[in-house]
Amino acid sequence: MTRLVFWAIDYRVLVIWFATLIVAVMTVPGFASTITLGLALDRAASMGLIAVGLTVLLAAGQIDLSSGAVFAVSGIVAVVLQPNIGIWPAAGVGMLAGLVAGAINGFVVVGLGVNSLVATLATLLAYRAIGHWITQSQPMSGMDIMLALAISQVHWGMLTLRAALFLVLILLLHLWLTYTVAGRNLIALGSSPETARTSGLRPGRMIILAFMGAGLLAGGAGVLQSLSVNTGSPVFGTDLTLLALTAVVVGGTRLEGGRATALGTLGGVLTLVTLTTGMEFASVPAYVQEVVTGMILLTLIVLDRFARPQGAMT
Amino acid sequence: MIVPALEMRNIVKTFPGVRALSGVDLMVQRGSIHAVVGENGAGKSTLMKILSGMYQPSSGDILIDGAPVTLASPAVAAHFGIAMVHQELNLAPDLSVAENVFLGRTPRRGPFVDRKALRTGAKDVLGTIGARLNVDALVGGLTVSQQQLVEIAKAYAAGPRIIVLDEPTSSLSEHESTALFDVLRRMRAQGTAVIYISHRLREVLAIADEVTVLRDGALAGARPREGLTSEEMIHLMVGRKVTDLFPKQAATIGEPLLEIEALSDGRRVQDVSLTVRAGEIVGMTGLVGAGRTEVARAIVGLGPRTAGTIRVRGHNVAPRNPAEAQRAGIVYVPEDRKRDGILPTLCVRENITLPILTSLSRLGWVRGGAERAEAQGQSRRLGISPSDPERRVSLLSGGNQQKAVIARWLASRPAVLILDEPTRGVDVGAKAEIHAIIGDLVSQGLGVLMISSELPEVMAVSDRVYVMHEGRIAPPLERHELDERRIMALATGEAVT
Amino acid sequence: MSVAPLSPPRHSTRSMLATAGSLALPLAVVAVLLLGVSTSSNFLTVSNLLNVLTSMSIIGVIVVAMTFVLITGGLADLSVPATVGMGAILTLALQPMLGTVGAFSAGVLAAGGAGLLNGVLVGYARINAIIVTLATGTVILGVAQWVVGGVIVYGADPTSGNLLKGRVGGVPTIVLIFASVVILGHLLLSHTVWGRWSRATGDSLSAATAAAVPVKLVSAGAFVLTGIAGGISGGLLALTLQNARPGIGQGYEFSAITAVVVGGVSILGGQGSVLRAVGGLIFIQLLTNVMTLTGVRTPVQGLALGLLIIAAVALDLAVRKRGGA
Repeated sequence: MTRLVFWAIDYRVLVIWFATLIVAVMTVPGFASTITLGLALDRAASMGLIAVGLTVLLAAGQIDLSSGAVFAVSGIVAVVLQPNIGIWPAAGVGMLAGLVAGAINGFVVVGLGVNSLVATLATLLAYRAIGHWITQSQPMSGMDIMLALAISQVHWGMLTLRAALFLVLILLLHLWLTYTVAGRNLIALGSSPETARTSGLRPGRMIILAFMGAGLLAGGAGVLQSLSVNTGSPVFGTDLTLLALTAVVVGGTRLEGGRATALGTLGGVLTLVTLTTGMEFASVPAYVQEVVTGMILLTLIVLDRFARPQGAMT
Repeated sequence: MIVPALEMRNIVKTFPGVRALSGVDLMVQRGSIHAVVGENGAGKSTLMKILSGMYQPSSGDILIDGAPVTLASPAVAAHFGIAMVHQELNLAPDLSVAENVFLGRTPRRGPFVDRKALRTGAKDVLGTIGARLNVDALVGGLTVSQQQLVEIAKAYAAGPRIIVLDEPTSSLSEHESTALFDVLRRMRAQGTAVIYISHRLREVLAIADEVTVLRDGALAGARPREGLTSEEMIHLMVGRKVTDLFPKQAATIGEPLLEIEALSDGRRVQDVSLTVRAGEIVGMTGLVGAGRTEVARAIVGLGPRTAGTIRVRGHNVAPRNPAEAQRAGIVYVPEDRKRDGILPTLCVRENITLPILTSLSRLGWVRGGAERAEAQGQSRRLGISPSDPERRVSLLSGGNQQKAVIARWLASRPAVLILDEPTRGVDVGAKAEIHAIIGDLVSQGLGVLMISSELPEVMAVSDRVYVMHEGRIAPPLERHELDERRIMALATGEAVT
Repeated sequence: MSVAPLSPPRHSTRSMLATAGSLALPLAVVAVLLLGVSTSSNFLTVSNLLNVLTSMSIIGVIVVAMTFVLITGGLADLSVPATVGMGAILTLALQPMLGTVGAFSAGVLAAGGAGLLNGVLVGYARINAIIVTLATGTVILGVAQWVVGGVIVYGADPTSGNLLKGRVGGVPTIVLIFASVVILGHLLLSHTVWGRWSRATGDSLSAATAAAVPVKLVSAGAFVLTGIAGGISGGLLALTLQNARPGIGQGYEFSAITAVVVGGVSILGGQGSVLRAVGGLIFIQLLTNVMTLTGVRTPVQGLALGLLIIAAVALDLAVRKRGGA
């Protein structure tokens, strides 16, 4: 019996997702259609792309609170520059903005030695401010509504462009973390920074690259979002960071570094999105949704804490 | 004239306020085992950290195979073929044994890990060392001695020119140590220069070809092993006769203050019984990992306690945390001063008065005058220098920090004081002062349980000595029965008296 | 390591940096004051300064409590918007039934209870404070809204805010409340056993534990304090504005942490004081005021704030490293 419990805790993501799915299908009429699932997956995509970047950073023992803001600013840049240089170049510059934001984060953490929590808290404020500055706090319209429709189109009954992108990236992340030297080195870094250093790895470089990757992903997600609704807004992405963080933690990646699971993040994202979509379909008010999401996260953290006693080295 | 594999010339290293090394020379030949010996605080670790690229010398030269080099970082040192096996384990707990062995040099096929080569390579290396470990096991789940073997495997796998081992046998059993010596001899035969840091003189005499002795940050002497005796090594290490270093005061021994029976902590410690009487200094020794600190922590409630009784002055007590232990009359000065002892940004006064703060305050408000008086009193009594109690404790020397931690517990007027490695990392002068303090305390009727790895110290000041081995304790040796070989035999589990 | 210490350790550089560190804040405040005087004629007027003080007071209560969280090494309490919202909503929603004082107390109590939950999870179960307070924050705010059915609550008795909006001896009541909280907080941290225990816990958790400090209690207590502070701020806001939106406390946690960090309280714990945190708050509020008076737009202010945090923390780290912590 205890073995079953331990197994359930280890694979809890699956367990929770299944449970959520079943409850949703049973209680919410119309939930079990592919279109619903397709929409759900699309919603998952933005959060999911950020969650991928966050998973990498957490593996290295860092955190990024600024991704929601990077998301917004990249989208804004992509929209604002459309009249000047065209849609695709503008989108490119938007993604570049995300990369640069990530590089700045990395520099503050590695170059100035500031704790990543504080650093990304500060950059969050700065990037949000930049977003408001550029747009004068007003949403801005893009040029091509047809493109927006094209991007949001559902293919093969279930996948939009960005949902597909998310799934591909998650799989790549899994492969990267499990089978590549760089991925294993990153986990080593999160597991024991001192060991990484004395083994000849280069922690500074690794961390900066991780932040840049996360920035690029947040930027990409932001650009896709703005293009798909043909709008750039400074308030986009405000709760994305928390949702992404929840998904990653629910999935089993450890906050302190050293343990990261891409498949877990996938499970976490799916769970959260099943939950929120299901609740919306059931017309559950937003604040109740918050309570439910928060309680799930809390329960999982507490369970994780007691199922797996802390302690790396003896 | 054969070019030595390594030459370190006139190495000086200063840190703010302290000169850790003053002009040390070291010459190690290719294909030899060279022991570096010295007391705690003699500078061995610092010298080796310089060699491994973690520190830069303030001045001096390093030559490898005759060519001057600058070891700017661990990566550079590795590049020159220097491998280091640290005493504080340097492994990534979430990675497997194989991954740890090859960390930083992972066999690859393009961007991917070559898992086959990784596992096979790891198995080979471990086999050579004689370590039977599952290469896929996560390092975090291994025991300390297993982790040490992984650390050694990691260094060996790099095929180094120079390999430095810092107290490698501290967590190894007798069998494992012997196997390690075989590996070292094999490395020597292949031309590797092996540097072996230890204060286990018996081992040094067994394995080394040459010995360098450090004392107080300077070179005390370098000798070939032939003809070298323990006494001479101790003399070089200490600079004076051992008995002068640890003056023993006479004290009258009274009734039992602390009686422990059948103590277990559910992990390593099993069925430990001991007694400490008033006026007595009871020594407790054994190898690293024997469980001595665990016993102490279990007694005061810092660690788990699953069985056993504790009696203070005849009354049963069961402290669940240090506060309760303090009220029961038992206090504990931890082993790791930096981590568990001092509160670095607080001043000396705040450090000293911390456990008794409630008694120095009224309704939660701290009475400044009373606190200052207490702090100054303790500070003067123990000779803490500089004597300004407002000074930040992190600015004090190791010895004075230790005194501050001891002072902290004296303020609560305990019955029994448990000291864990009280003179570790403390310079020679302060060592003597601390022992004088201990002697003073027992002559006033306290009982002291002193955990120490330094045999000379244990043998010089203890009235009785308990030796622990793998979680169990042997019956105590009386002062007249104290003999280095006998204690080592008990500590390594060789003999049962 | 420990060999014969060098003859006179080099005091000068170390103490110079330490002095520089402690002078930085007062100097910065003076600099801002000078900047304000030189760029705007409205700056040094009584009405302007009183305005600044008043807007500072609400968040100031939280800043005092947040200081304890950082000093005990608790990293941060991100559930502040939720406790502020809860305090505000309950104060107005329960006012018809329990009266102003009763409702306010109920709000503070509920917020304190939320803080207790945080405290238990962070202090006793030792789970990462960031993730805990993020999670509890969402739950608590959701519960607060659920209790009132998701609507904006309006005050039933417009006169209940009069006392707060008024003045005592020329000083706005709210500012007086803030000042008392500051004094209480400062005394608590620097002169009581609890305060000493808090600093010890943040300085070195393992050493404090070994030294018989009740570290779990102290860690938990800091979060109870921020919970209560959130409740108080929310209640005060609700009574002054006579309405309570759930988002009323949005951004407060960041502002509070910014003020504390800029004031020189280390996020790693152990070092700092309530007065420094308040000093940081004063600096930021004055700077924001000067920027507003000179027409600097909000977004740029946000940018400036972000850069400020980074600068403050980086400076603190540099000073600590060379000061030999």
